[in-house]
Amino acid sequence: MNIATMLFLLFATPVLSSLPVALAWVYKRDGWARKLPILSVFGLFVSLCITLYILFCFPEGVYTYPWLPEFNINFVFVFDYLSKYMGALTAFIAFLIGVYGLEYMKHDYRLGWYWFFFNMFTASMLLVVYSDNLLMLLIGWEGLGIASWGLIGHWFKDDDELAYVGVIGRKVGALKMFWSPSFGGWRAISTIRFGDMPMFFAIASIYALTGYYFGTPTLNISEIPWDDLFHKLGTAGTVILLIALLMGPFTKSAQLPFSEWLMTAMTGPTTVSALLHSATMVAAGTYLFMRLSWYIEPWQIRSHGLEIVYAFVLFIGLISSLYGALVALGCRERKVLLASSTMSSLGLMFACSASSLWVGKISLYVAFWYLITHAFAKATLFLVTGHLIHATYDRFCCGNLELTRNMKMAFGATILATLCLSGIPPFTAYWVKSAMDEVMHHLAHDLGETPLLMLIAISVIYSAFLAKFLSLNFIKGDKPKILHLHGERLMPIAYAIMVSMLAVLLYMMLNHAEPIASKFVEKGFETTSLAVGLAVLVSYAIALVVPKLESPLGRFLGDRMYMPALNDLIVPKIGWAIITAVDYGNRAIDYLCHKAIPKFMEVCSLKVRAIQTGSLKRYVKIALGFVMVMLIVSSLIGW
Amino acid sequence: MIEIVIASLILITLGSALSFRSPRSVFAISIVALLITLIVPEFRSYTMLVVAIGILNLLSLFIMDNQIKGVDYALTALIAIATVYIVFTNDLAMILLAFVVSSIPTYVLIMTSESNARVDVAVKYITFMVLATVLFIAGAVVMVYANSVDASHLFSLGFIMLIVGLGMEVGCAPMHEWVPDVFDTAHPIPVSIVASIAKIVPFVATYKILIMTANPLLTKLAMFVALISAISMFVGNVGALTTNNPARILAYSTVANMGYVLATLVVLIDLNWIYLAFAGALLQLMANAFGKIGFFVSMKEDGASNYLMYTLAFSFIGMPPLIGFWGKLFILLSLVKVGYIWLALILVINSAISVPYYVRLARILGKPAVPSFVNAIVLIAVALTFITIVPPNWFIDLAKAIIGGV
Repeated sequence: MNIATMLFLLFATPVLSSLPVALAWVYKRDGWARKLPILSVFGLFVSLCITLYILFCFPEGVYTYPWLPEFNINFVFVFDYLSKYMGALTAFIAFLIGVYGLEYMKHDYRLGWYWFFFNMFTASMLLVVYSDNLLMLLIGWEGLGIASWGLIGHWFKDDDELAYVGVIGRKVGALKMFWSPSFGGWRAISTIRFGDMPMFFAIASIYALTGYYFGTPTLNISEIPWDDLFHKLGTAGTVILLIALLMGPFTKSAQLPFSEWLMTAMTGPTTVSALLHSATMVAAGTYLFMRLSWYIEPWQIRSHGLEIVYAFVLFIGLISSLYGALVALGCRERKVLLASSTMSSLGLMFACSASSLWVGKISLYVAFWYLITHAFAKATLFLVTGHLIHATYDRFCCGNLELTRNMKMAFGATILATLCLSGIPPFTAYWVKSAMDEVMHHLAHDLGETPLLMLIAISVIYSAFLAKFLSLNFIKGDKPKILHLHGERLMPIAYAIMVSMLAVLLYMMLNHAEPIASKFVEKGFETTSLAVGLAVLVSYAIALVVPKLESPLGRFLGDRMYMPALNDLIVPKIGWAIITAVDYGNRAIDYLCHKAIPKFMEVCSLKVRAIQTGSLKRYVKIALGFVMVMLIVSSLIGW
Repeated sequence: MIEIVIASLILITLGSALSFRSPRSVFAISIVALLITLIVPEFRSYTMLVVAIGILNLLSLFIMDNQIKGVDYALTALIAIATVYIVFTNDLAMILLAFVVSSIPTYVLIMTSESNARVDVAVKYITFMVLATVLFIAGAVVMVYANSVDASHLFSLGFIMLIVGLGMEVGCAPMHEWVPDVFDTAHPIPVSIVASIAKIVPFVATYKILIMTANPLLTKLAMFVALISAISMFVGNVGALTTNNPARILAYSTVANMGYVLATLVVLIDLNWIYLAFAGALLQLMANAFGKIGFFVSMKEDGASNYLMYTLAFSFIGMPPLIGFWGKLFILLSLVKVGYIWLALILVINSAISVPYYVRLARILGKPAVPSFVNAIVLIAVALTFITIVPPNWFIDLAKAIIGGV
């Protein structure tokens, strides 16, 4: 099989294999149609096999296939360190979640819709991962957007209380603190489109500018002469171009102030949340930033504009991360807690990638490895949450040791995932976080100690809410009102495999199976790293023992610091203002076209016709008068 | 050429003499007199178009009974022959002669009607025509003289007289006062002749005279032309907006159309583009002729087929591929080429203003289609508006050939 066929299969199989159920569902919603999702999961499996083949057997490089050769726009696939790992990660997680979904979505009323968008989601992400061409990437990027809209609003009837976010009926002032699935879908797509527009223009500008400055326009990330481009653009130009381009990643990865959609994206099925939060969608934003930085090589460029942009991204990332961690700390809803923790992690990835300008390529590796670790851990936690919601019919944290006895596998997976993600030595994330401490420490010379201190604070809070999640759901939480286990098989298997991947990663680091990741281990044995690890462990232990603490501050954090007001009150107000302005404009045009101009024309017309009195004497006076005037004027000019 | 013209004139004269015995035979003789001009191979497409307009005029006279039955055919044929001949001659005397010959017969025709002779109308018409003819001829002669003695002051005086005379003759604002009154009160058939074929010679004559006497002073003087044409467009189009009387609408439409054609004269400041301007002017005059014949003839029976009326209206509005579109397009292009962007813009705005009244006109005159002689004549006029269904490059070549000889 040649490479072109294989690449075609990689992207097409998931989509094509989901078509049978999508089409069958239009006519038949029971019986054999409920078996068709297996085909969709098989499509995901094919993709997984191909990505693994790419990971292990492909040489690094760029593969180009003609698309619009006369415009120098082609299908360009890049296989490098980032894309090889990321592709395999995406396909693997999507496949496992697919298997889980077979059971989780068994009785759903809209399987055709679900599987089509689920598979399209995966295919779009793979396209984003392997694209070197920005236009091709944009196709995948928009595919992610539309699929996320479809999946978040999957339960479009808004009839299931379990699918909401927030306490139904609760209001704070004018702000409704609960969100339905259809509204969640709308919030997602509207926020994302807001960022996609400037990104689209930035891509167009890159195409135009490269053509203008260097002769041949190009959109291939690895080919664009970034250094020269930034120098030609100057400081302001660079800042405008890059910020516009990064508006896409910022909104997709839910950085402040675009975080709200991610929280209400929890209205979708839990499988969707799991996929959305680990390897697709939100990861696409950080991944794109890493990929850009990989080829921009900011550590080699001396550009004031670039420095401003990277410092901006660094601090936006850190602030978003702190915000996410604090919100997670105050949050009582299982999925929303995990959502804000994702936001926190994404912030760290942005911050760490951005520090590459000062620290060098190593920080990109650190950020990327953090992405991988986070993906497996977060996917596990989401899958467990899905199982918990299934069993207890409750979106809010609840569960005690009695529940734990019935769901041992879920309990074990949660312990492992929280330990591995929070950065407690010697578990997986500890080594990565140690390297991240080191990276932030390097920034001290240029940006002061703030980044490092913020990172430590975030790490401590992060481990606290993970422990809180564990404690409130399995140990010290309220007794669930209902406990109804259906004897699920696939779901526990899926999250068990998922969490075991964290052990694989740990093995790879400690055993020097992966040259770059094993470098992180050295940093882990430094005193500061150990001290941070200890602080993290202490906060984990405290939260495990005292998971609940009623306070106004906690409620403030749990209400996400009232950020929903931005999306639900302020932005709509601006929208209404625009609509009102447009309405007035419309009325003015209507008045002009239907009243003012016709009236004016009528008056003019009657004036013009008023000359016609029928009197020849008058006519001749006018005509000859005009002739005389013309003759006099022409005489004056002639002289 | 001159031999053919003389032959035609002899035929017409004989025909007129015959009119005492049999008016119908004059109709046939006039048509033959027109057709024999087609023998000349030079400018044949122009001749064909003019002959087509002439025959349409003759056909429309056929359905009208009047005081001079028989002679009216001959007079119309005379105008047509003058119109054919004008493109062949570059002699000032002949040009002025053609101008007069195309003008005088209308004095008589305008008076005719199916009941009493319309003397009151004729007085208004003739007063303006005499003034116009005198100004035009005097202006032309003064210009030629001024050029020969190099008197720029005199030249500009002559130019103004010529343009004002032309404007009065064809009905440009603000010398248009006769147009609404005459078009409204005279019989529609003679008006259709005045509004169609009689408009061509004055413009061709003006082009020939101005090219003959080309003078650097034209660059300044073109502003007068632009001014009159702009006034004419606005007065015509705005005036037509508020009337439901089809004859008045058509009268103001004539004022506007003459404004469009007059605008092309500003292109004389750059002789490189004059052929485009001339093509636009000629095409617009043809479009105007077909449309005016169609509408006025249909007024004889209070309307004609819906489809025909709307097609003519669309041609006037300037919808491709009808002839009216190409006329306006060439005019616009030539104006843009010589830098008179504002005038081109005014032309476009005026085309937009004209849309409501042309549609209204079509609605007033439109009736369900029935087979009749009027509908047949209008159908021919409509068919002729489709000659530009293929982009009329040939017309530009024709314009180049006619202008190139001067």
